[in-house]
Formats: sequence, C-alpha cells, structure tokens
Amino acid sequence: MLSPYGLDIIESCLTCKTRTERLFCDLPAAALQTFESIKYATAYPKGAVLFVEGQAPRGIFVLCKGRVKLSICATDGKTLIVKIADPGEVLGLSATVSGKPYELTAETLDPCQVNFVKREDFLRFLKEHSDACFKVAEQLSEKYNTACHEVRSLGLSHSAGEKLAKLLIELSSKNGEAAKQEPRVKLALTHEEIAQMIGTSRETVTRLFADFKKRQIVQTKGSTLVIRNKTALRMIATNN
Amino acid sequence: MESASERSCLACAERPERLFCDLSPETLHDFDALKSVTTWARGSTLFREGQPARGIFVLCDGRAKLSVCSESGKNLTLRIAGPGEVLGLSAALAGGSHEITAELLDNAQVATVKRKDLLRFLHEHREACLQVVNLLSQDLHIAYDRVRSLGLGRSRRVRAPRVH
Repeated sequence: MLSPYGLDIIESCLTCKTRTERLFCDLPAAALQTFESIKYATAYPKGAVLFVEGQAPRGIFVLCKGRVKLSICATDGKTLIVKIADPGEVLGLSATVSGKPYELTAETLDPCQVNFVKREDFLRFLKEHSDACFKVAEQLSEKYNTACHEVRSLGLSHSAGEKLAKLLIELSSKNGEAAKQEPRVKLALTHEEIAQMIGTSRETVTRLFADFKKRQIVQTKGSTLVIRNKTALRMIATNN
Repeated sequence: MESASERSCLACAERPERLFCDLSPETLHDFDALKSVTTWARGSTLFREGQPARGIFVLCDGRAKLSVCSESGKNLTLRIAGPGEVLGLSAALAGGSHEITAELLDNAQVATVKRKDLLRFLHEHREACLQVVNLLSQDLHIAYDRVRSLGLGRSRRVRAPRVH
C-alpha cells in the first residue's frame, strides 16, 4: 500500500496500539470516541512547519509519529530550540487553551503523523470530558517543568561547555541508559541544532565536541555518542 | 491571628476578582472543606526546588518570589507572584518534585490543599479543572517569555554579578 512519506498512518485512535503508553491519548472510551470524531489525521514531510510563533491559535496537534522541533525565534533570526517533542506529546496546547498566539514554532524533524483538532472543537471537548481536561493539565504541568528547567540552564550556566555537558547528561538519562557505565546517546541532531538548544553558536559546539573527544570524555560512533567518562562530564556540568 | 486561620473562601470579598478562586458556589464549598489557611511570616519558604510536591498553595494575600537555583547556589528570580495565584500547581499535578522555589516577600495568608485532595477535587469538578488548565497555560506563557529573554535577549557579553 502506498503510504505518505513512508509512514504507516494510524487512521483511528480507537485501534491505536501505542495509545495506552501515552500520557494524553490514554483516555476513557467515551472521551476517546468524541476525540476520534473531532480529530483530523494528517501526515507531514520532514521540515514542515506546523505552526509559527505569534500566529493566532488554530488548534492542537497531537504528535503520533516522528519528532518535532519546538523553537523560539528572535527578530534577528536567531533561534533557540526549547524542546524536541516525542510521539504522544500535544503541541500548541497552552495557546489553544488561553487563546493567546502560539509561543513557539513547531517544525517536523522526521516525516510525522499529526492529529489536528480545531480550537473550538477542542475547548468543547475539554468542557465535556473531565478526564481529558485532567490529562491536559498534566501535560501543561510537564511543559511548565521543562520550561523552568530551560530557564535554569540558560540563566544560571556560565559557559557553553557547562550547558553542552548538561544537555548530554540529560539526553543520556533517557531509555534506561543512565545506569550504564558508558551511556550511549543516539544524537539525531546536527551541531547547528545542538547550538540552538543551548543558546550558542554552531562553531562553539563543534569546538566543544572536539575538546570532549580529545579529553576522552566522549566518543562518537556514527551518529551514536558514547559517554566514556561520566564523572568528568558531570564535573563540567556542575561547573567544578 | 487565630481568627485568620478560620477564614472561609465563601466569605472572601476578593474572590470574584481572582482567576482561580472564582468558582461556582457548589465547587467552592467543596474547595473550602479541603483547604486549610495558615499565616506565614515574611521570608518563609513555601516549597523548595527539588522537594517532593505535597500540595498546592493559594496566596490569599501577600506576594511570593518564585526562583530557580543552580547547583552552585546561584539564584534566578522567575517572577513575583501576587494575591490570588496558585503556587506549586504543576509539580502537584505532574507528581514529581518542585521545579522552583517559592519564598514569601510579605506576611501572608496561604491556603493549602494536599495533593491527594486536589487530584480528587479536580476529577470531581470539571470547572475547577478547566481553571487549572487556564492557570497552567498562563504560567507556561510567562515561562516561555523568560526563556526567550534569557536565551535570545542578550548578546554574549559579561553578565553582571548576581547578588545572592
């Protein structure tokens, strides 16, 4: 069967197998039925822009497959990546709820499946289904915690090295790698993107990686990064 | 100050002006039964970053400073919260530890609701849950503004020393 962008599109939320693992999607049957009737399943290629910072909110985007880059932009074009969203995350949530313009720009990093729900439909849905409303509150809480984390890292770190070390530790703490002696990180990001995540230049990231490699702190194998010396990385992250 | 701790939300004159507190009589009645009001002295810490979230704090009056802290002990103020604001909400809902520190800048009356009670209350009262969603959205907008100004607002110049 021909599928858009090589994606296996999940047409119905009711039959979605990954639903139960996802914070927002794991809704009770009645709410899920309603959600199913108001959502539009869409596919986007890599590099597509779902919404732009400053745009009036049209609705929410539930990320089913693929990754999405969430960034904010300065007027001079400088970009800061706030987060890379993974499947299961709801995007454009706070803007849709509050009616204020989208505060971030969402751009796909891979071919993505996204379920779109119009703002009016979504607000009605929340009023009618308290379980969904609660899940939205949970999602917003997590987003808020991430934003606070970002504020801390941007506002209180001294050097770019400190920020890069923090980012690598954070990335390596996912997927149960943290406990390992030499955690591995699948770095599906360019140096430019990493620079935008920690608010520095691409050149600095390249220089820092070269420095970390020289000091045997990290090692790269293709796109996989192996953290050879966790203690040293942690020392850099805590500015000691 | 004993009488103050008896303060009821039902008799609160400021309630209609406040985003969270302006609930329907029935919901408010239930909220009133869950909360307990305490008077805190200026300078006390409502919760500290890293502490497990045990509940929420509604500022009845007074102001609170919300800040984040680095491992080396440096502080960064996120914002100053005013009367009527609900603090510790995101941590209580997400169930983890507090991401920020809240310290009172004035002597203040603070209504607290335990996490367990809050979750039940929100499940039972859709209206309150919607209010909470609105509050969280606003908090998030402010946080993103802060990210924007910190991450993009300044060039690479030497930062002014911070006063601890």
